[in-house]
Amino acid sequence: MIPILFFFFAAVAIASGIMMIVHRNPIYCALFLILTLFAVAGLYVLLNAPFIAAVHIIVYAGAIMVLFLFVIMLLDLKSETSRQRPGGLPRILSIIMSGVLLAELVLFLRSGTANLPLVEGDLIIGSTKEIGNLLFTEYLFPFEITSVLLLSSIIGSVILARLKLK
Amino acid sequence: MEIPISYYLLLSGILFTIGVVGVLTRRNAIVVFMSIELMLNAVNLTLVAFSKQFNSLDGQIFVFFVMVVAAAEVAVGLALIVAIFRLKQTVSIDKINIMKW
Amino acid sequence: MLFNFATALVFLIFGGLFVLLNLGISRILQARNPHPVKISTYECGELPEGESWIQFNIRFYVVALVFLIFEVEIIFLFPWALVFKDLGLFAFVEMMIFVFILLVGLAYVWAKGDLDWDKPQSVPAPELSQSYEQKEVTETVDS
Repeated sequence: MIPILFFFFAAVAIASGIMMIVHRNPIYCALFLILTLFAVAGLYVLLNAPFIAAVHIIVYAGAIMVLFLFVIMLLDLKSETSRQRPGGLPRILSIIMSGVLLAELVLFLRSGTANLPLVEGDLIIGSTKEIGNLLFTEYLFPFEITSVLLLSSIIGSVILARLKLK
Repeated sequence: MEIPISYYLLLSGILFTIGVVGVLTRRNAIVVFMSIELMLNAVNLTLVAFSKQFNSLDGQIFVFFVMVVAAAEVAVGLALIVAIFRLKQTVSIDKINIMKW
Repeated sequence: MLFNFATALVFLIFGGLFVLLNLGISRILQARNPHPVKISTYECGELPEGESWIQFNIRFYVVALVFLIFEVEIIFLFPWALVFKDLGLFAFVEMMIFVFILLVGLAYVWAKGDLDWDKPQSVPAPELSQSYEQKEVTETVDS
């Protein structure tokens, strides 16, 4: 069952990812990205990380993509939905370079992870409590720094949204 | 039956490459931004896969922080896009060249 | 553990199937003879004005930004609530510092008036909103 689910989620993630970068309407791009995010959340569950999967859906599908859709609606991008891809050389070059990157990644993965040691011991499942224990003891300082990051981002983005035209 | 970690890493590599193609070929700044989100997700998948492989939770904590950084990045980045749109009436990255001379 | 998520998976699969099945049935059974009046948004005499893709006011965007930040705070509150009993006062103090720093941001946004709803001088794109009003005026004159 698990292999079937893995290949199902992987296929959904890749297919909707490709649809996201080829679709012309930005709203459809956002919806396909949401589909990819759900597939990735399913993969997190298969990887024994149920809490990460839930948080992933809450943050990405619940907040980040809402903000994306919001901005697409805010900007009224109808005129931008027409064809506006770079034709010719830049596009071909960028696709070739991406192919090279993929080949590099595959080669690296084949050589690097062929015989990774499997750590013995009790299987750790990333439940909410386990993550909380680690987060509030060992990773306490990064956690507190995170709040400063969020503070700076809220102030910065509100100032940018307020910016008046000259 | 267990899926070997290399499958997850390969999937993550493919997703990352899709994100790169999106960044390089699209001209809509918002879609470019979404492609960056896809790349962040690919990296998150790698972190969780290694977290399972090495039987430790540190990778999952990292995913937490990556998500927070992604949220902060989206807030500021979209505010930038909105500000640029109000200045230039476009989000096409070919036409946003106010810092290029 | 995985077995608990079978419920979610079954729910997801049947949700998707339900939508596809219903759309498919209506696609098969429907009679298709399009007519400009029939395919308009409201079929019952109400003439649609403009398009469904309208521009939002930018003040909604500021609220959405604040929502995003506090949603991220929520994901830290979940694990905190579960380990609170074990870690005691220590966890309480550290979470209070975290929440306080974020509340500084909220207080800033609030004090600067970005959450105020009726603030005419902060209308972001004057030429766009003006064109909207002008369009409405001319249309009412025409009718």
